[in-house]
Amino acid sequence: MTDVIAESAPEEVGEALTFSTTLEPSRFLGLSLKNGLLNVITLTLYRFWGKTEVRHRVWKGVRLNGEAFEYTGRGVELFIGFLLAAVVLGVPFLAVVFAVQFGYYWMSLLLFPMYIALPWLWGFGVFTAFRYMASRTTWRGIRFRLKGSAVNYGWLFLGVGLLDVITLGWFRPAGERMLAERIWDEIRFGDRRIRFRMGRSQREGIYGPFAIGWVGTVVGYFVVMFFFMALVMASGAFASSADGPVAEPGIMFTLGLYGVLLVLSPLVLLIWAPYQAALLRSIAAGVSVDNATFRLDVHALSLWWLTVSNLFLLLITLGFLMPWAQARTAQYLIRRLKSDGTARLNLAQQTERGPGTGEGLADAFGFSAI
Amino acid sequence: MDARFYDGLTAQSHAAQAELDGDLLRIQADGREFVWRLKDVEVVVEADQARVSNRRERDARLVLPVGEWTPLAGDRLTEKVRARRQREWWLIGGLTAAAAGVALFVTVGVPALSGPIARATPVSMEERMGDNINGQMSHLFPACENVAGQRVLAQLGDRIAAGADTPFDIRVRAVDAPMVNALAMPGGRILITGDLIREAETPDELSAVIAHEIAHVEKRHVMQAVWRNFGIGMLLDLVVGGGTGAGQQAVILAGQASELSYSRSAEAEADARGQALLRADGLSSEGMAPFFERLAGKAGSSELDQAAEFMATHPDSARRARAARAAAQPGRSALSPEEWRLVKTACAAEESGNPVDRLKRRLGLGDDAPVADQRIEVRPH
Repeated sequence: MTDVIAESAPEEVGEALTFSTTLEPSRFLGLSLKNGLLNVITLTLYRFWGKTEVRHRVWKGVRLNGEAFEYTGRGVELFIGFLLAAVVLGVPFLAVVFAVQFGYYWMSLLLFPMYIALPWLWGFGVFTAFRYMASRTTWRGIRFRLKGSAVNYGWLFLGVGLLDVITLGWFRPAGERMLAERIWDEIRFGDRRIRFRMGRSQREGIYGPFAIGWVGTVVGYFVVMFFFMALVMASGAFASSADGPVAEPGIMFTLGLYGVLLVLSPLVLLIWAPYQAALLRSIAAGVSVDNATFRLDVHALSLWWLTVSNLFLLLITLGFLMPWAQARTAQYLIRRLKSDGTARLNLAQQTERGPGTGEGLADAFGFSAI
Repeated sequence: MDARFYDGLTAQSHAAQAELDGDLLRIQADGREFVWRLKDVEVVVEADQARVSNRRERDARLVLPVGEWTPLAGDRLTEKVRARRQREWWLIGGLTAAAAGVALFVTVGVPALSGPIARATPVSMEERMGDNINGQMSHLFPACENVAGQRVLAQLGDRIAAGADTPFDIRVRAVDAPMVNALAMPGGRILITGDLIREAETPDELSAVIAHEIAHVEKRHVMQAVWRNFGIGMLLDLVVGGGTGAGQQAVILAGQASELSYSRSAEAEADARGQALLRADGLSSEGMAPFFERLAGKAGSSELDQAAEFMATHPDSARRARAARAAAQPGRSALSPEEWRLVKTACAAEESGNPVDRLKRRLGLGDDAPVADQRIEVRPH
């Protein structure tokens, strides 16, 4: 099916896009409990079906112009994708492990290409997961579709990761935009093209908020290390003793250390919240369809509170409340998603069904958008 | 009726009317009629909206207010809801059975197979693996520098190993490592940490530890553990995928707990065989029990961390101490006073007094410590 480049003429009248949500996170509590318990008794094999049910419920709770989205994926498709990935990843991995462990010493050189292949494969897996999700998302009966090349996305993912390391993280904001562009610019609603305009995205500055996070992290790191070492010196926790066994860090000390990390994590999230919010705004600003553009009115403090409260509840429930947290996040975002201008979505024609299975590689890497 | 129909071909909305005619749902939209059999119909209700789809026309949708759909359908779809629940129960039953099969294979099958596979593993293959691991360990735990002490230790190992039925060349060496421990590697190398040598109070205690490790080599316990960890690890990784959720972590922890029970029986076997090797050479086997007792005693005290490493890899020390005491027999000392002095000084005398250095060493933060391979992990014994 040919894509329609949806550059509508100004005189064409489309429909304004209004998002709304009927999501009530509290209604996900029962599902959270059910998924959690079934995951335990099935050694997590139920997760494919559990995840599918969560998506069904989240998608149908999101409406555009009064019409709900629909998730049409099935648990068995994710399960088969997982089995395929187990073969694709597992066999080469086993071969390398055997060669390194039982072969000659020089065979450990085989690990180097694997270290390069893994991030590439991760990116490949992320892209194919989005492709699967798009193909299983419908609105007004019309499927979404992610075109583009997962192979190229994998290389971009690898390149962004490398530049990220080389530049001590300063390439990350630009890289995130590039990765978002590669996804959003390839999405279609039926045959209608959704665009990502880098220029519009760049108008929403993200390097200022990134600098807050980066500098804050570096300063915070030294401050914490200073206090930590001062504490160690003051308490004599590791001092030598002349007439007895040398004291070692005890369990209470280790627990205390984790406690401090727990207290610090909201602060770390707080200094990065402006960047996370700006990134979300920037990506939303870059997306357009026909003459409709998007705005995501996300601000640092509210996003921070969402993240911290989700994290806290996930920690104290050992992850059981994940569906509830996902519903909260979706509700938060949809309530803040606005659109200007109009789009002629009613002209969209149906598109192909997409891949038969999905997300196996992403599952192997522990990646899941929802 | 405020219903909308989407034909699944375009996103165009069509005003629609719907009515039930026996087992058929008739939809009128823009002058066209669509007839769906009720048994093919699926309904999703969310808030004020009902969305009706047809299994045979997968993309078409009828959307109408719940208030209009409920009186229309009545309880006609109750049977479908029941059937769906039944399918879900079958799915849960099947997955639970599959999980039980995996659990059974992990706890019974893999351990049962690990012994025969370890014995069938070619000696050259195990030696190569030992060489590879030794290459990594040498960076992580460098050998202690006192050559004379190392020589005495190696000779003691040779003497005890003389009675062992093993194709491997037993090579004992002292290493600088932040733990009280001893470990046998595939292929016959045995590492004794400087902390353990300092902890040992008599030559008999040290020779008991070395005999215990030689017994592990002779029984090929290390290779068994390698295959067992490999099998269990691969299987559980395969089942849980890459997720880091609580469920996934619980499964992995359960796998580790199962491994612990097998290491217990291997430890007991190595204790008994180790004492037999000492007796065969006329050496005292009375050093094993006091050593275990001292570590077991420390486990309950504030010195937990010193003993933790040994206890983690040599579980159940108190019970094993009792068994070792029961089987202990007197004999000559493994080392002369001069040899014992040399061994005790094999490694640097004490750790640095600098708290930063001590913390780094305790946390394993050496300057060039390589990252250990987590896939095939050779558990120290």
